[in-house]
Amino acid sequence: MNPLIFTTILMTVLLGTMIVMMSSHWLMIWIGFEMNLLAIIPILMKKYNPRTMEASTKYFLTQATASMLLMMAIIINLMHSGQWTITKVFNPTASIIMTSALAMKLGLTPFHFWVPEVTQGISLTSGLILLTWQKLAPMSILYQISPSINLNILLTMAVLSILVGGWGGLNQTQLRKIMAYSSIAHMGWMTAVLVYNPTLTMLNMLIYIMMTLTMFMLFIHSSSTTTLSLSHTWNKTPLITTLILITLLSMGGLPPLSGFMPKWMIIQELTKNSSIILPTLMAIMALLNLYFYMRLTYSTSLTMFPSTNNMKMKWQFETKRITLLPPLIVMSSLLLPLTPMLSILD
Amino acid sequence: MLKIIIPTIMLMPLTWLSKKNMIWINTTTYSLLISLISLSLLNQPSNNSLNFSLMFFSDPLSAPLLVLTTWLLPLMLMASQHHLSKEPLTRKKLYITMLTMLQTFLIMTFTATELISFYILFEATLVPTLIIITRWGNQTERLNAGLYFLFYTLMGSLPLLVALISIQNLTGSLNFLLIQYWNQALPDSWSNIFLWLACMMAFMVKMPLYGLHLWLPKAHVEAPIAGSMVLAAILLKLGGYGMLRITTMLNPQTSFMAYPFLMLSLWGMIMTSSICLRQTDLKSLIAYSSVSHMALVIVAVLIQTPWSYMGATALMIAHGLTSSMLFCLANSNYERTHSRTMILARGLQTLLPLMAAWWLLASLTNLALPPSINLIGELFVVMSSFSWSNITIILMGANITITALYSLYMLITTQRGKYTHHINSIKPSFTRENALMALHMTPLLLLSLNPKIILGFTY
Repeated sequence: MNPLIFTTILMTVLLGTMIVMMSSHWLMIWIGFEMNLLAIIPILMKKYNPRTMEASTKYFLTQATASMLLMMAIIINLMHSGQWTITKVFNPTASIIMTSALAMKLGLTPFHFWVPEVTQGISLTSGLILLTWQKLAPMSILYQISPSINLNILLTMAVLSILVGGWGGLNQTQLRKIMAYSSIAHMGWMTAVLVYNPTLTMLNMLIYIMMTLTMFMLFIHSSSTTTLSLSHTWNKTPLITTLILITLLSMGGLPPLSGFMPKWMIIQELTKNSSIILPTLMAIMALLNLYFYMRLTYSTSLTMFPSTNNMKMKWQFETKRITLLPPLIVMSSLLLPLTPMLSILD
Repeated sequence: MLKIIIPTIMLMPLTWLSKKNMIWINTTTYSLLISLISLSLLNQPSNNSLNFSLMFFSDPLSAPLLVLTTWLLPLMLMASQHHLSKEPLTRKKLYITMLTMLQTFLIMTFTATELISFYILFEATLVPTLIIITRWGNQTERLNAGLYFLFYTLMGSLPLLVALISIQNLTGSLNFLLIQYWNQALPDSWSNIFLWLACMMAFMVKMPLYGLHLWLPKAHVEAPIAGSMVLAAILLKLGGYGMLRITTMLNPQTSFMAYPFLMLSLWGMIMTSSICLRQTDLKSLIAYSSVSHMALVIVAVLIQTPWSYMGATALMIAHGLTSSMLFCLANSNYERTHSRTMILARGLQTLLPLMAAWWLLASLTNLALPPSINLIGELFVVMSSFSWSNITIILMGANITITALYSLYMLITTQRGKYTHHINSIKPSFTRENALMALHMTPLLLLSLNPKIILGFTY
């Protein structure tokens, strides 16, 4: 794509999200979402083939439906409160509709069906933007309306998301689908604590984005989209196999890596609010996620997949240089001792 | 405590910066020096604990375990030299780094004051162990073994996290030193029963309790020698240590909640000892014998009398040294015949007489011969369980008999009799191996002269 046009479109995506995050007028928020949606379609379709077209169409349809539902909730809110400012949502119907719309945008169960299919159909870099940047805008709106969200619906969606994210990823070998299911599960964790302490939602979002960025960059570095091609990284860059191991274990939430921090904080916040069965259930279901991460590490770093003799003498193009990778890896694995710094987030 | 932790962390740069022919020498020497430093902790002046900082402390229970941990690292390094000799240099350094990382986490776990810090480090020990088992094990079953190990332990310990946080909400702090003084009886309710279960299940899985022990034979058998040593000697004791710490907070539910686990342990120790009599795989036999000894520790901890705590602590240290030694002996067999089947390498006394002496000593301590500390541990546990309920003496006595049976079975099968004709070309014992066995046996024998340092905080 022409670099100038690509830059313009990328800036529009960024601008759209910024408008959503910084507006106080509901209509501007809706406009921001639409801008974001329209501008990201060309980015999703960077490679022009029927698979990408299908994925972009699915993404457009779901997100447009969600925007329409959001508009309806905004209008109902306008009807009942008489003003367009974002504070809390004044009517339970509007609140429920808005929560569903934002859940559709995020990919929470029961609106999660588009996430694996869209993520699979697009290139790795577009998938990266989809799973990290696109989550910022809906999450910021959820953060702002969090006092008025119906707890039952949100918690049901969260717990079901963790379940679906865990079970759905078990049968996958395609890396992008694995990342999609991991995104569904992490969104579940984030929304579970939204009503109790939205700061922790933001913390989880931050750490999730770091870890997902790291994973995608490691995949881009070894140009691998399936488990099989990932298992050849020991041949190309043996260091990457160790880094994949560490980052995957961090995503699974194992101490002492930083992926444990959001889970621990969320469990602590939920327990402080006297719900004990819920965090136990959520924590145990996160083990499903850990299982398919472990399977990835088994095929990549801890064992040597059966491969032909040609593999041992592979030639490749010059290694891509990914500048941000070392700091991202350090941050996505070693942040746990800095947990007391969370007090600055208040 | 930093005087032990920082040198252990610095062992990692030491391995990466050492020259090719110096890595084993450097790491083994410095880890021996670190274990000398930890010996000073055995000087516990009173029943109160030695506080080093807000985060680390050492008391008569954790000091012997700490000394055992630091003592074991040089032994693990010595034992791993042979099977790593053909690997490229980077992988050797990675292996040593994994062992050192595990060592650091273990030291911090045994000396943590805050229970959540204990929890995080307890979980953190899983990652290097998993990598050691899965990456450097020898058979294809090691993949399954790693998964079983990780998921059994995690399933048990996630409820522990929730329980610890809810206790922190109730009492305000999880600092172990404070809780000793704040302790009040838990009110009797259903949710407190679940709290008890949540607290204890993690350690039960780790010990392991008889019904939850499936991960242990897999993990011990598939792990390389250093992995087996550290698993048997220390990681199981993490469960025992955790149980000893957390039962102080869990009264009075323990008096009735302990019954199912006591039944499982009492029956389980007989079952696993009997399974040992039918094993063909040498490492599997030693693994099941570990389950059996740990079942005694579970019985001791759940009975909660001063003598049983003394027995539990002594048994943990004694079993750590004995089990690790048996794994080293089994490994010396494995390195020669590349098979763990017992009957493939028989009559070794004719070929390797000095090793036969070590086999004899290890088997004798395994069956708790007086005056070794194994006997002291087992005897205290048997006595306290007899005072708890007279009938348990039947089961305990049966267990001691069956333990003797399988230890002697193992000894006689591997050492006595006519040697098999295909092993007349095995290499003689290396000095390294003899040194390894001596370094295991010497503390064991010397401790029988002064067992009070390992008798824990109720002495």
